[in-house]
Amino acid sequence: MAGLVPPGPTTVPAGESKKAEEKTDFMNLPCPIPFEELHREALMSLKPEAFEGLRFDFTKGLNQKFSLSHSVYMGPTEIPSQSAETIKIPTAHYEFGANFIDPNLMLIGRVLTDGRLNARVKWDLTDNLTVKANAQLSNEPHMSHGIVNFDYKGKDYRSQFQMGNAALFGASYIQSVTRHLSLGGEVFWAGQHRKSGIGYAARYETDKMVATGQVASTGVVALSYVQKVSEKVSLASDFMYNYITRDVTSSVGYDYILRQCRLRGKIDSNGCAAAYLEERLNMGLNFILSAEIDHRKKDYKFGFGLTVG
Amino acid sequence: MATKVSLKSKGKGGKGSKGSDEKSTVQCLKEWSTWAVKKAKVVTHYGFIPLVIIIGMNSDPKPQLYQLLSPV
Repeated sequence: MAGLVPPGPTTVPAGESKKAEEKTDFMNLPCPIPFEELHREALMSLKPEAFEGLRFDFTKGLNQKFSLSHSVYMGPTEIPSQSAETIKIPTAHYEFGANFIDPNLMLIGRVLTDGRLNARVKWDLTDNLTVKANAQLSNEPHMSHGIVNFDYKGKDYRSQFQMGNAALFGASYIQSVTRHLSLGGEVFWAGQHRKSGIGYAARYETDKMVATGQVASTGVVALSYVQKVSEKVSLASDFMYNYITRDVTSSVGYDYILRQCRLRGKIDSNGCAAAYLEERLNMGLNFILSAEIDHRKKDYKFGFGLTVG
Repeated sequence: MATKVSLKSKGKGGKGSKGSDEKSTVQCLKEWSTWAVKKAKVVTHYGFIPLVIIIGMNSDPKPQLYQLLSPV
């Protein structure tokens, strides 16, 4: 009898607290990621910024918050054409940029040799309210766009209201439903183009994988799945279907984040294979190789570049 | 009175004077907001990068002027 130890109060709470950790506390859910970054992992792996030609970026930091950037690009640029052929025009431009990055205020401006300005502003008014603005201004008439976003971050939800030129209004809302699942929706109204739409999205995330799905009344159905196989390797796949135009695209890709380099590759159901390599040659010196081979359109793009700073 | 009416109708091509008051405030607002947006676009286009540079040069620790132009 003395040997038998009845389960006393000391043992049960230890077991219960472990179970409580696993059981979700619905009053304490994590804040979801912003609605526009829903497909973030899949986009990072499957859609690297492929370019064609030479690219040289030099970023010079003047102090912790302020830096200037000089960027040279030489290569063919694709212009939209009605026929099936891709038409490319060789272009070269120099881009000057100024960045000011503060915890509360971020200002990024880039100006090209042809006078186009790309400006981004992000201002944290309070802990929860953020104002973002994005503008592309050009000297040509009717070619300038601007969008202002007001983001409000709650305890376990995020909401955003968006206004743009050409009478564009949009709103989105995303809410954490469980520890892993978040659901959201968006509406937009474009005055000048007389279009409006509504969409829903869901994101299921664990330590090892992220699965997202999005449906919109513009006809887009987008599903993606990213599996983090290890710290260095992740595999991603993506499925996009437009139920109005009956277009289907599916792609599979990988993302290796190694000590000295980052290699991303993907292959598409449109017969397009792409790869993007960023190699760190030295502290602050990065070498970039980009390749995109489109067998269906017979469009082959190869680019190389160097990023300093 | 006649000059007032003629000034308002100049922009709109002679609407009836009875409804011209309400219509003219809406039209005036639209014209002024279009004018303001156009001026704001020009100001932003020429002034955004200088604004970022001024804010950056006044942040702590204050960088020197030569650092702005030298490649080191």
